[in-house]
Amino acid sequence: MSQSRLIIREIFYFLSLLLALFIILEIIWPNIILAYFNLNWLLVLWLISGLSLLIKKH
Amino acid sequence: MFKTFLTKRPFLFKFRLFLGLILLVFILVFLYLKIVPFGQITYERVWPNVTRSGKGFILGFTPAERVDLNGTYPKLSGDPVYFSLFTPRTFDHVKMTITYRDNLSTATPVIEAGVLKDKIARNYDLSPVSNKILDYLGARWTKIRNGQTVFLQVTKNYDTLSDFLSAFKDNKLKDCPNGSATCVAVYNYPLNFDYPAPVARDTALILDKPLRGGHQFYVYVPVATLDLSFSFVDMNRDKEQDPIAVNLYQDNKLVDSKFLGDNNLNPTSGITEQKNISLGENNLKPGVYKVEVKISDDVVISRIESSVNKLSFINKIWPVSTPGNLTLYTDASYLLTKAFTPASLQTINFAGQDFKLDEPYSQFKFVADTANPLKAVKFKKDDIILENNGVFAWSPESLFNPTLPKVDSQFVVSSQIKYIVADYQAPLAEKDWQAATLDFDLKDSYRENGKYSFMISIPGLRTETGQGNLEIKEIKMELSGRGLLDKIRELIKSR
Repeated sequence: MSQSRLIIREIFYFLSLLLALFIILEIIWPNIILAYFNLNWLLVLWLISGLSLLIKKH
Repeated sequence: MFKTFLTKRPFLFKFRLFLGLILLVFILVFLYLKIVPFGQITYERVWPNVTRSGKGFILGFTPAERVDLNGTYPKLSGDPVYFSLFTPRTFDHVKMTITYRDNLSTATPVIEAGVLKDKIARNYDLSPVSNKILDYLGARWTKIRNGQTVFLQVTKNYDTLSDFLSAFKDNKLKDCPNGSATCVAVYNYPLNFDYPAPVARDTALILDKPLRGGHQFYVYVPVATLDLSFSFVDMNRDKEQDPIAVNLYQDNKLVDSKFLGDNNLNPTSGITEQKNISLGENNLKPGVYKVEVKISDDVVISRIESSVNKLSFINKIWPVSTPGNLTLYTDASYLLTKAFTPASLQTINFAGQDFKLDEPYSQFKFVADTANPLKAVKFKKDDIILENNGVFAWSPESLFNPTLPKVDSQFVVSSQIKYIVADYQAPLAEKDWQAATLDFDLKDSYRENGKYSFMISIPGLRTETGQGNLEIKEIKMELSGRGLLDKIRELIKSR
């Protein structure tokens, strides 16, 4: 596996975990994340990293 | 050692460690912002703000028809306007700074802001943002400032506020031949005075004209006994619970309180429920008492039985379900009226003049053209809200107003008023903008879904009449409360 693909994969895992964590925190304490930060931006980053990973794979 | 440890590890391990640390930092930052361990945090909203990502903490403004959001700054054009403050935890105190541009006409000289204290009674703790009447008089009369308190006098009769207060207490104010209370006005300042005992003999009073929603009234208790009985009708038109609370105060101190919960067995059914509350006291100091009936608009006070007949409703009365000709009495020179249904539209006779109430749900202002302190309000159809800055009673014998005139939006500078005491700080001017700082106690403020509710009130401002607007540039909330250490100490103490 090339190093660039490895980095993209790890970033994708990281963003997935971060997104899940933020959603869990938001469910437990409503508005704790959304007051500061729009999760849509994180979702876009997560999608970009996921698509990049798929492109690299093929 | 850590460096040696890292050099032996593969790239994947180091990269994961790096991302893991970032994740940990994110979690710690958000936990810090949730807990606010030092008990102090500031939230602000600045207009325009194109870079804002999150929802923020200051949310609003509502209702939408009173706010124009199309320009660079939100323009408030009606009264009142609400906004809310989201906080991740409770706080004890907030210092609110509001930066605004005043495009208002002289018809709306007062701007106030406040926090919601009681949801059922919709009671806001209001503080002054700006009072142009005080600003105007402050520039012309002799002004003495004592901390937050400002003391104005037409002629310089007193060198200090304490000299004035002492003369006021002894009812020996200079230039006040008819008694101290006749020539003093207040604003946002609790200046109590001993209301003189009425001469007429006191008799019992029965009020069987139903009143809708929360009401407050003054009673004069000449002896140690006060008996009040209330009958209520819960209309069950909405789905909310309708608890009933009756509080008795003297000089703003709670003397007695009665509470009746609501099991809410028939919400939205329209099936009415009868409820009763009695309040009896045998050991009262003779004087003026304030009674607060805290109920929602889904409840009607169907009957009040009182052992005293001096009973005047404060600022607002909402008669319902009473057919025929009705006559109320008031001491104020104006009347704000609102028909709650189209069926309530009518001609109201106020102080001998006819005024047309020809639009439902809109507030109309009727001004009396008489100097007579007692004014009759005659109307044929009920379900109208009557408001002013005075008191209302169902008979002239019951009418009495134990408060001093207030320098509010309806205040008229008369030759009678010689002194004004106010807890007021004029806003600071910053080029085109003005900034006012207000303090609010949040300990007993109403908080729902993590939000405190705030109101900006410009009495008399109506969107339809185009009397100008208030542009908001910034709202800053400096919150303070218990820190994490205080909380831990409290937990240890309680064990």
